[in-house]
Amino acid sequence: MLELKRSLDAKGHCLLEMPTGTGKTIALLSLITSYVLSKPHNPVKLLYCTRTVHEMEKTLAELKLLHTYQTTHLGDRAKILAVGLSSRKNLCVNPRVLAAENRDSVDASCRRLTASWVRAAAAANPNVPTCEFFEEYEKAGSSAVLPPGVYTLQDLRVYGKEKGWCPYFLARHMVQFANVVVYSYQYLLDPKVAGIISKEMQRESVVVFDEAHNIDNVCIEALSVSVRRQTLEGARRNLNKMRQEIEKFKATDAGRLRAEYNRLVEGLAQRGNLSISDTWLSNPALPDDILKEAVPGNIRRAEHFLHVLRRLVQYLEGRLETDNVEKEGPVAFVSSLNTYAGIDQKTLKFCYDRLHSLMLTLEITDTDEFLHVQTICDFATLVGTYTRGFSIIIEPFDERMPHIPDPVLQLSCHDASLAIKPVFDRFQSVVITSGTLSPIDLYPRLLNFHPVVSRSFKMSLTRDCICPMVLTRGSDQLPVSTKFDMRSDLGVVRNYGRLLVEMASIVPDGIVCFFVSYSYMDGIVNSWNDNGILKEIMQHKLVFIETQDVVETTLALDNYRKACDCGRGAIFFSVARGKVAEGIDFDRHYGRLVIMFGVPFQYTLSKILLARLEYLRDTFQIKEGDFLTFDALRQAAQCVGRVIRSKADYGMMIFADKRYSRHDKRSKLPGWILSHLRDAHLNLSTDMALHIAREFLRKMAQPYDKAGSSSSKTLLSQEDVEKMSDANLNEMLY
Amino acid sequence: MMSDSDDDFVVAGSGDEDARATDAGARTRSAKPKEQGRQKERWEDIQRSWEVTEDPHGSIAGTVADRIEAEKRKRLLRDTTPLQRGIIRHLILVIDCSSAMLEKDLRPSRYLLTIRYSCIFVTEFFEQNPISQLAIIGMRDGLAESISPMSGNPAQHITALQALKTREPDGNPSLQNALDMARATLFHAPSHGTREALIIYGALLSADPGDIHSTIRGLVTDSIRCSVVGLAARIAICTELVSRTNAVTGASSDSPTLYGVAMNDVHYKDLFMAHTTPPVLHAKEKNDAPSLLMMGFPSRILEDAPSKCACHGNESRSGYLCSRCSSKVCTLPAQCPACDLQLIQSTHLARSYHHLFPLRNYVEVSWRDARAKESLQCFACLDDFPEVPSEEELQQREKEDKERREKEREERDQARKEGRRWEPKGRGWRGGGKGASESWRYRCTTCGEHFCVDCDVFAHEVVHNCAGCLCSPPLQQQANGEVNGTANGHV
Repeated sequence: MLELKRSLDAKGHCLLEMPTGTGKTIALLSLITSYVLSKPHNPVKLLYCTRTVHEMEKTLAELKLLHTYQTTHLGDRAKILAVGLSSRKNLCVNPRVLAAENRDSVDASCRRLTASWVRAAAAANPNVPTCEFFEEYEKAGSSAVLPPGVYTLQDLRVYGKEKGWCPYFLARHMVQFANVVVYSYQYLLDPKVAGIISKEMQRESVVVFDEAHNIDNVCIEALSVSVRRQTLEGARRNLNKMRQEIEKFKATDAGRLRAEYNRLVEGLAQRGNLSISDTWLSNPALPDDILKEAVPGNIRRAEHFLHVLRRLVQYLEGRLETDNVEKEGPVAFVSSLNTYAGIDQKTLKFCYDRLHSLMLTLEITDTDEFLHVQTICDFATLVGTYTRGFSIIIEPFDERMPHIPDPVLQLSCHDASLAIKPVFDRFQSVVITSGTLSPIDLYPRLLNFHPVVSRSFKMSLTRDCICPMVLTRGSDQLPVSTKFDMRSDLGVVRNYGRLLVEMASIVPDGIVCFFVSYSYMDGIVNSWNDNGILKEIMQHKLVFIETQDVVETTLALDNYRKACDCGRGAIFFSVARGKVAEGIDFDRHYGRLVIMFGVPFQYTLSKILLARLEYLRDTFQIKEGDFLTFDALRQAAQCVGRVIRSKADYGMMIFADKRYSRHDKRSKLPGWILSHLRDAHLNLSTDMALHIAREFLRKMAQPYDKAGSSSSKTLLSQEDVEKMSDANLNEMLY
Repeated sequence: MMSDSDDDFVVAGSGDEDARATDAGARTRSAKPKEQGRQKERWEDIQRSWEVTEDPHGSIAGTVADRIEAEKRKRLLRDTTPLQRGIIRHLILVIDCSSAMLEKDLRPSRYLLTIRYSCIFVTEFFEQNPISQLAIIGMRDGLAESISPMSGNPAQHITALQALKTREPDGNPSLQNALDMARATLFHAPSHGTREALIIYGALLSADPGDIHSTIRGLVTDSIRCSVVGLAARIAICTELVSRTNAVTGASSDSPTLYGVAMNDVHYKDLFMAHTTPPVLHAKEKNDAPSLLMMGFPSRILEDAPSKCACHGNESRSGYLCSRCSSKVCTLPAQCPACDLQLIQSTHLARSYHHLFPLRNYVEVSWRDARAKESLQCFACLDDFPEVPSEEELQQREKEDKERREKEREERDQARKEGRRWEPKGRGWRGGGKGASESWRYRCTTCGEHFCVDCDVFAHEVVHNCAGCLCSPPLQQQANGEVNGTANGHV
């Protein structure tokens, strides 16, 4: 908190690593809101970014508690307005719209009811369906405001239903006035969305990125596009459809196209006067990089623009026909495009805006059908805008399945700092926090910013409730590792199997295992099945496996939980970097032990990764090895961090690979794990690990004093805090 | 009694400890002769020797004596608030006979040790609760089997338990089956008694045929309280079982008397034996109207010619005649086989009484209090106490302890800053063992007399009366009476 205050005062950015389950969220929220309260003349807005909708709800729920506390103790002065903002899918209350199955179609069906021309048509002809909630909201006009309070998504929906106002547009409107806004990363990082939503946030805002250990990947994904054959075919279909539309318009309403042409001559910059429900596409490039110029003449006319797109699609199709992997920079790509298809860089740059304008003119509301052509334009604009930090990689087939042709053209961004730069520039303080940010000095380099404070906090625990171990040898004292030359060794497979069998017999309830990849997991489970090891495991615990299919995995997880609940005990096999590793908690009895089999390095032969590594080395002087280890270790830490979500909980973590005992790997683990990793637990064999596990479980089963004894006090009363002198304060912080 | 160990401490302070310590140890042992030919040295009794740390003068004698005393006192330091307890108990002992019990982490094996402790438990149980009933159920290979039916006869249970030794444990346990069986067994238990199930659980899973949660709900409606002694680790389902079936009492499942996990064999025994104390009755469970219970107090007869008893059909000359129907039973307490009258002896009832009016714990006495009282010997056994050190020496020790603590804190801070782990090394002057008194004296809070640790244990474990209070003038005796209890009519 002290550090946070320091960085707020300095109006700078900060990077905080705090273990999960230690009240990170509430600490951030309470400090920042109190900070705001203490400076009434300088209103600071809090933008709290979470990764998933679920986390968003949790954050808002905590904020609600905090808010009730503050209002009861401080009175009306503490009243704030806090809203959560999410996609239409999560906020819509119109039953007809909600019937659509995915996000894009919800968006599209909403637009079908609320687009300005649809409403204009409805005004003339009452048979045209519109959304009654949106109509109500529009009618209420500027009087449609939320009274102060904390609104979760659920609250917003309820409130919207009550008043008959559309919660989505209401929330979007209120975002400008709210003191606290909770939304997902994309709203700030993805320029496509950020342009619409976050444009009006004032500079005096504090931005918090929670669970931000993967923030660089989010940034990169926001600026990367991949084009497959299906995309191109879809784009072609879209183009045909658009041509027909244009023909139709030409026959019936030529004036409209004319008007558009004139507007384009004047320039595209006046998007501001479009109505709120029409702004659904925004430029994928960053705001600063968009030229405020008129659209070049060769694409001003709708037909011409379609021709250009058609040529582009054709060119891309030609490129996909290749048999070998190709990699080139944007500059080379654009020049070859110019040579073969006659499209210059400037034209490319305006593709997206031009498409947007055209679709508005054509009054197209089925936006979900036109995703493919959007992707193409997206690609074109990015290629046209950026010359550095990107590369274009064409792979004729998937590395792992070389016989199935599946050509893919990827425009991949290598520089995470590109997407996040406007955020750092625009807002006075950005707080990046997560349970795993180690090594903490790498993030500022990756994201290219200068934090005022970067600190790693440890937990103050009443007892040693986590027990990390590094297991380097199997029961036969031979080293175990998932190193490429060792992973298929039968001895290693058997040793891993024995480890799991033994652990299954002494650990109660749930065990979670993480493997380095799906293919490795499939392989090792297969051979365990052949050896009969799987059968032995099944005697102790039921086995559930994560698959790439979301539905299957959800089902497996549900049953895993059930098995843990009824005392049968279960093991969940999962993959590092998979969905389970990222978002699912295995707290309490759902995860008493987590075993990380191997070091989850990225697939190092991937062309995209290689390109990124090269870029990082050239631009930021980060060695390939360093980055790979950093990335693998943060994944591993993320995996094992799943087991412990609160102080009352306990869990063991086993890193089963000899490479973890090396200093360069180990030292990259977060501080709160390292501080519990004893030297004696660094180089264990299976039998030693078993012994330690037994002792640990027994110790944890003993009753303990929740408030902590005098020497390791974790729950402080007010007197304690008052008693604490500055020296003691320091002690508590360390 | 244990004055030798007291001398020993003074010696330790003077720096010339080793020879005298072993010497003293040998003498202490001689007070309690062992069956073996060679007498064990005192340090041989100390288990987990790595926990023994040195005092500032490098001697371990203090720690050893300290630990022995602390262990002795540990069982005594329980809650002594007089509470209404259910002294007519119906307890089902559920023993895990699954393959997990073959583990040898408890010597000789979990299974054999459990059987041994169960026998001790049965004896102790009936000692403490003579008018209670017990049944034993085993969990083997997914089934629940009755080992010994509900009865009040310890000998019968012990025979059944001994017979269990010949059968190897096997398969997975099924908690649900065992609980269902316990529920069925307790179905007929009368409402004036408690219904309890104590589960000894070595396995880490429960292979159930159906939904165990519905079984737990059934237990709650039948108001059967379950407690668990685990041998390996905490299991979620047991935590749930314990917390839900004890929800009425408001006790948390964290309480070691409800769900304890054994660290080692000594701890296991402690946890197990803790269940011999009758459970506290809570207002919500109590029947509002006090119900009366019919009991017979038969007197012993000695006949000239042997006759058959009604309970077992054995011929004997001695026995008891039921006070209502005059049928003959051979042992007490028992239920009359003819008219179902509860037959007990008045001593049985009296024996259960101390649970209701426990003797208060003695408190530790500091050196300064000892000087003020000028007690030189134990009030009960007249054994000599160690001499009170001079004021200067006390101050010296306090200073040393304080310096030591400061140094430790510095070290700890340093370690924290560097992110290292830190563990305390060594120890200060006496006071390390929990519950042990620095002056080797223990004071009764009612009469204020000082006692040695052995008399403390004796008074609380065996006689349940304070020697000081009993000999003191009538006024004080009355005060003690309130605590120690001569009131009756609460059954």
